[in-house]
Amino acid sequence: MIPYNKTTLANGLVVVVNRDRASKLAAVNLLYRVGARNENPERTGFAHLFEHLMFRGTRQVPNFDLPVQMASGDNNAFTNNDYTDFYITLPKDNLETALWLESDRMQGLAITPEKLQTEKRVVIEEFRQRYLNQPYGDQMMLLRELAYRVHPYRWATIGLTPDHIERATLADVGAFYRRHYHPSNAVLSISADLDEERMLELAGKWFAPLVDTPARADVIPQEPVQTEARRREVERDVPATTVSVAYHMGRRSDPDFQTADLISDLLAGGDSGRLYQHLVKERQLLSSVNAYVTGDLDPGLFVFTGQLLPGVAPEAVEAAFREEIEALQRDAATEYEIEKVKNKFEATTLFGELNVMNKAMNLGFYEMLGDLAFINREIDCYRTVTPDDIRTYCSRVLRSENSSTLIYRARK
Amino acid sequence: MIPPRITPSEVDVQQAEKRILSNGVALYTLASEDFEVLRITFVFRAGSAVQTVPFSASAAANLLSEGAADRTAREIAEQLDYYGSWFDVNIDRDYVYVSFAMLSKFFDHTLEVAEAILLRPTFPEEELRTYAAKRKQRLAIDRTKVDVEAREAFARALFGARHPYGISSDEALYDSLTREDVVAFYRRFYTAERCFVVCSGRIGEHELEAVGSLAERLPHGVAEPEPLFPEPETQHEAFVAHPGAVQASLRLGRLLFPRQHPDFVGMQVVATALGGYFGSRLMQNLRERNGYTYGVVAAMVNFERAGYFAVATQVGTDVAREALEAIYREIERLRTEPMPGEELELVKNMMTGEMMRILDGPFGIADVTIENILCGTDNAVIGENIRRIRSMTPADVQRLAQRYLAREDLVTVVAGAGNPMA
Repeated sequence: MIPYNKTTLANGLVVVVNRDRASKLAAVNLLYRVGARNENPERTGFAHLFEHLMFRGTRQVPNFDLPVQMASGDNNAFTNNDYTDFYITLPKDNLETALWLESDRMQGLAITPEKLQTEKRVVIEEFRQRYLNQPYGDQMMLLRELAYRVHPYRWATIGLTPDHIERATLADVGAFYRRHYHPSNAVLSISADLDEERMLELAGKWFAPLVDTPARADVIPQEPVQTEARRREVERDVPATTVSVAYHMGRRSDPDFQTADLISDLLAGGDSGRLYQHLVKERQLLSSVNAYVTGDLDPGLFVFTGQLLPGVAPEAVEAAFREEIEALQRDAATEYEIEKVKNKFEATTLFGELNVMNKAMNLGFYEMLGDLAFINREIDCYRTVTPDDIRTYCSRVLRSENSSTLIYRARK
Repeated sequence: MIPPRITPSEVDVQQAEKRILSNGVALYTLASEDFEVLRITFVFRAGSAVQTVPFSASAAANLLSEGAADRTAREIAEQLDYYGSWFDVNIDRDYVYVSFAMLSKFFDHTLEVAEAILLRPTFPEEELRTYAAKRKQRLAIDRTKVDVEAREAFARALFGARHPYGISSDEALYDSLTREDVVAFYRRFYTAERCFVVCSGRIGEHELEAVGSLAERLPHGVAEPEPLFPEPETQHEAFVAHPGAVQASLRLGRLLFPRQHPDFVGMQVVATALGGYFGSRLMQNLRERNGYTYGVVAAMVNFERAGYFAVATQVGTDVAREALEAIYREIERLRTEPMPGEELELVKNMMTGEMMRILDGPFGIADVTIENILCGTDNAVIGENIRRIRSMTPADVQRLAQRYLAREDLVTVVAGAGNPMA
């Protein structure tokens, strides 16, 4: 249970605060509702490149990191398909330093052609290090391309190709900044051992003077319903073949999300998960296996993925995945299994509340989803999932016409 | 409109309460009523440096939970997962850390499984074979990455290819690892003499009694002489060819000393200034000014009987030579120019903040407590170290860099498409 207070400033910025009585730190999280899904298909990777540029200095603060570090703080950021998140932890007495810096860079960014050029090189190195120079680095990219034809989820946050990053111009940067970085497109969340009213007051002091520049929401092309199974094989210099199967599923905020998440947990939650027990241990088809849901703002993916042991045929693994799905439809999960997933959710939640950064980040995320109160109610949704819900979900979502299969074959 | 900034000068941490059990095992507690969870960590001096058969140390650690006298691997996994309890085993060159984290209300259930895992593991043959096949494959995959190639080559270069801290074994040796090797390792090293326990979170008398009674049943080991610890044989350059790699992995550094040495904390300040934070000299140079890399780090690394200084990064193949030169130049600059006072102040504040972040939450406090116990100290050393960091002057930084970071003492290792040292 995370208690919180929430307010919306006149300029549209949502502010959420939580008092943590144990920590000596303050965590400040600023979430912008912009991610790779808002990108132009000819300029992919831009939201992430822009996240990097946010550290390149403003008219008032030429070096963003310097004052953070002087205040004993640490800061970072990440971008995903749906949103961009900036966060700082620092001694609680220095909270205002974080608010000053975040409010300053919401509107005062000063990007020069040189800064843009250096940052493009850094991001292209990141592209190489994490996606091209890494065994299996392009696997998820290929799976996205296969599963999505229209929706911008068809590309990863890093983008479709380093060329897109290379082509970004200063004009693109300015337009993106104005369109997406303004108070009514952001959520500020704070967790610290400070009085809630005091935190709200300080947020107002630093952010209320900012002028909002609202823009019409982007129209995101939605993925048409898939009607037949898709399949692709590639060959790469990797030691072991992998098989991935992705099914289109609903949104993070849909009422059946907890059912989907619970199913992925039955299959792959810990060493007692069905896939690990059946396919890794008993049948020895795979050296590792996973099933997970992407939990995105727009309809996401339910993904199965496994790494084959030598001598195993990909077809045998595809068949084995299907058998596990059929087993879920035939003999639904028991009350016992469901109780187990519920316990796990409770434990994960409580472990996650042990530090201020997690709490601030989660508050921002649930507010972005559109229902902040859900942060403390979601556990009830897991509690009410029934064996019948699981059966129905499997027949509706985990069907072959709705699947995209990627065979990532090890070159002999 | 710049808000006031306060530099925290004191970082005080609760001292662990210590009790010695009848078999000599020390049990440390960091109790806190603020949480509904707790964690118990058993630390054994059973890392890979003491093994005589390759992979037997990590196999013993990782197979503890794969079958016990009274329950199968699957039942163990099931019983832990059912209560949402989190079980984790970590191994380094010197130690094994076996941790259980749980909701307080499921303490008894979890401890019962912990007892089976720690006291009655059976290391079944079929589990060992599955494990060995998986690990072999994973290691083969890891070794296709330039950073893993460079990391292993760096350890060999610092210590020598046969030294317990330097050795990297052929993954094919997983095939010849036997159940007897693993059982023998467990019997020899998972003993009362080589163990201590740290509990943190919501711990009452009941929990303490129960953990104590478990740890008290750890058997005594056979007294034996410490295995020989050879002198390291350092080699100053090594190159691992990786045709076609789009990036080169660079590692530079040198052997120094473990944490107990009076200059260790000072050298942490030097390493942090060089590459320990986002605004560090190497990040500014390699990433921000030149775009050679996505990231670069420098740090002091501590083992039980050695310690070293290291710089690590991955850079584009075409700029590997320039990046190496830039790293040497930044190290040289620490030796020839006194560090500006403001920069040193920044580094000190960073390090203070970093310590506060590590200590945030009961599990972080437990981790730091374990590290302090391993170095023969207690949590009072945290405040002491912060005071030492804060008292460093630009002259101290320069003196340490001159003394310890001479160009001719540095070891350089590269894994990549071409050799930039040639």
